[in-house]
Amino acid sequence: MRKVMYLEFERCIGCRACQAACRECGGHDAKERNYVEYVDFFENRQTYPMLCMQCKDPACARVCPANAIQITEEGVVLSAMEEKCIGCRNCTFGCPFGIPKFDFEENKMYKCDMCYDRTQHEIAPMCASVCPSDAIRFIDHDEMMDLRRRRTQMNLIEGKKPSENNKWDYVPEFFGVYSD
Amino acid sequence: MTQFVVKPGVKNLKHDGEKLITTHCCYCGMQCGMHIRVNKKSGKVVGVEPRYDWPVTMGKMCPKGVTAYQTVDHPERIKKPLIKKNGEFVESSWEEALDLIENNYKKLQAEHGKNALSVFGGVSMTNEKCYLVGKYARVALGTRYVDYNGRFCMSSAAGGFMKTLGIDRGSTLPWPELEHTDCFFMAGTNTAECHPTTIQWLWRARDKGAKMIVADPRETPTARIADVHLDLKAGTDSALANGMLHLLIREGYVDETYVNERCNNYAGLKEAVKLFTPEYTSELTGVATEKIIKAAHIYGQSPRSVVMFARGVEQQNKGVDNVALYTSMALLRGQIGKFASGVATFTGQGNGQGGREHGQKADALPGYRKIDNPEHVKYVAGVWGIKPEEMPEAGVSAYEMFDEIQNGNIRSMHVICSNPAVSAPNNHYIWDSFKKLDFMVVSDFFLSETAEFADVVLPTTTWAEDEGTTTNLEGRVIRIRKVREPLGESKTDWEIMQLIAERMGKGKFFPYKNVPEIYEEFRIASKGGKADYYGITYDRIEKEDGVFWPCPDEDHPGTPTMFRESFGTPDGKANLPAVLWQEPGEVPTEDYPHTLTTGRVVFHYLSGTQTRRTQFLMEKCPEPYVEMHPELASQYAFLDGDNVYLETRRGNMKVKAKITKAIRKDHVFIPYHWGKELSVNKLTNPSLDPTSRMPEFKVCAVKLRKA
Ligand code: SF4
Ligand code: SF4
Repeated sequence: MRKVMYLEFERCIGCRACQAACRECGGHDAKERNYVEYVDFFENRQTYPMLCMQCKDPACARVCPANAIQITEEGVVLSAMEEKCIGCRNCTFGCPFGIPKFDFEENKMYKCDMCYDRTQHEIAPMCASVCPSDAIRFIDHDEMMDLRRRRTQMNLIEGKKPSENNKWDYVPEFFGVYSD
Repeated sequence: MTQFVVKPGVKNLKHDGEKLITTHCCYCGMQCGMHIRVNKKSGKVVGVEPRYDWPVTMGKMCPKGVTAYQTVDHPERIKKPLIKKNGEFVESSWEEALDLIENNYKKLQAEHGKNALSVFGGVSMTNEKCYLVGKYARVALGTRYVDYNGRFCMSSAAGGFMKTLGIDRGSTLPWPELEHTDCFFMAGTNTAECHPTTIQWLWRARDKGAKMIVADPRETPTARIADVHLDLKAGTDSALANGMLHLLIREGYVDETYVNERCNNYAGLKEAVKLFTPEYTSELTGVATEKIIKAAHIYGQSPRSVVMFARGVEQQNKGVDNVALYTSMALLRGQIGKFASGVATFTGQGNGQGGREHGQKADALPGYRKIDNPEHVKYVAGVWGIKPEEMPEAGVSAYEMFDEIQNGNIRSMHVICSNPAVSAPNNHYIWDSFKKLDFMVVSDFFLSETAEFADVVLPTTTWAEDEGTTTNLEGRVIRIRKVREPLGESKTDWEIMQLIAERMGKGKFFPYKNVPEIYEEFRIASKGGKADYYGITYDRIEKEDGVFWPCPDEDHPGTPTMFRESFGTPDGKANLPAVLWQEPGEVPTEDYPHTLTTGRVVFHYLSGTQTRRTQFLMEKCPEPYVEMHPELASQYAFLDGDNVYLETRRGNMKVKAKITKAIRKDHVFIPYHWGKELSVNKLTNPSLDPTSRMPEFKVCAVKLRKA
């Protein structure tokens, strides 16, 4: 897969469309796997989305004693396999980003799989498709690298960034996720 | 007609056994493009797929749009007519329900005259249906009393644009141009929550260095990142706009050539704004003078700018003045009628634009014609096949219809596609009026708070079970496709109006077999009017990604950019206003020391009839709350999550506190999407704008205590 997920936290408007859309993805059993959180609602309304980083060497898969978390050839880290998952929840503690969720009724873990049923055909995941602010994007790796360079350059240009109400300092400027 | 519309090279995910049908969201004026997933075998609606190639929204949706399809095959749908017997709703046949309506309508009209009946419409319906509501009231029922919920939504924008520009088209420019704008002046619009899919265009413009100035008592997600956040007191927009105009003139930012050639009354405006120095403006609005000055410089220096506003400035008893003044900021800068610049209001309801143009309004006829103009009446009467003298005179505005109920003049109301029991101000008065009616009919697909008052509830279809057109917030006419067959015994609103017309002996005026037939008549009815749809056909909409009105004939390309050469006024010139300062209907006093303002959240639409029945949305936002600054909270020792008792001169309620610094210290905010004891509109002030008859939902005086 040449496309990557690209997150720009500061663009997020907290609409949670990404979460509603996550439920709509074919294999997701109407349960969202991504997160949208306030940085600190007492201070302001800044929110940010969080989804699986699709790590190259994922902690969740590493700590899984049952080897239930598979990685596709494109590098997508899938939800635990139903028949293998023993419900130990190691993965939910192991992930440094706190991504895997646990279904106590079914006694199994579930997580973001980058909408594998879509992305394997190079169709954008549901969250990136609907996100009205482009906080979540599904773009070419090259475009992502280009955007990263451009952001830094543009921030140097006078007047580009607001000098007042500049409360997005709470979060990193951008966060790239890529799988190759 | 093609059901699945997609451009070459665009990939969508199709599941086996499913088909995709292309349509638009049923909720706000953005009318986001989407494909609905339908199970081929069962015909049921099962999901949604982004429409990546719809040029206005590019596949983006807010959570309401993503979950919109879930209201179609919903377990709470009303599938049979309901008749209230001994205080309980009982399912009945259409025959029985229509008999009851016919008997009551005829009896009431015999006893109290034609105008004993009334119709309360809505604009979350297609153009075809909205057009028919006016005709249904005036021809089938023969009553003058018809008005619609746009009075609580768009009427101030309409009034302000009519006065200033001569034509009320929500946006003078097409949305994709926003990307190229240098500066956005946004007043009273919580775009990130109420029209989220616009954000992509704003953020793209910002990527290129565009500036944003946001006027709002709350630090909304848009205000948070603004270059200047003008944190004004609710209800002081006319002062702020006058102050901005003052500075534009003082600092030499006026495009004198444009103003001299294209505007009237520049001298009058100049004189009126003289008073509004930054100091005086600051005193009235509560905004620091430096911010006002900074905003004026940024706006004044931007080569291409768009002034945008929404309910925040419109839902005031001077909403029309606010609109006229903000619009004048664009006029003084010579922005209207040019690329990537102009003025726009964010249409609230799905078809708030189209639905207000074609005769649902008490004083309007199709094509933005006026009922007090004999020429207009003659034309429309001709299209409808009635005599001009049979056309009823103008009625009264939505809220004033309730006065007429209280006075005993209106004895019966048919509410179509609306829920005034939640959305009208001063709820107690509305509820009492419903109880006073001799006979009440409601058409809806869920049992709304309004429907609970009815004697007869007629089950309608949702947007997915009928076809037609809507007009989005740009003024682009688009196609809504039929996605599935009507559920149970539900019928489309137009069929219902047709059936009642037949019972009233007026069937021959409503001979439609399908929606395209209504559309054909409607095109002709709008022909030659200000909102001229005559040249727009279903085919063209599909081929051209929608067509912008006015479009007087089939060879006309439509009008994406308005007012390129002249305005819609009789002399072709824009009318600049001269407006003095006027307080809101209610100001804080010792007894009611704070300001209450109301609004929306991203998870709910209008009165919440649909979104409160959608699981995801209810999980994210189950109940209203009162937002307040920690400084105000500490005066009452409120902690986050505490129950707060609020009271105004009209009503009271109890909600939980949500504490944040993202709001003015002297204001509290409550979202309005809930009914009964959770309805903030029990508290709001029905102080009406003299022109638009818009109630002042945005400002009233309130007192607080621990509950
Ligand atoms: S990539 Fe797919 S699974 Fe992951 S958050 Fe987005 S929609 Fe959900
Ligand atoms: S859809 Fe986009 S803007 Fe909305 S909450 Fe998710 S990341 Fe934020």
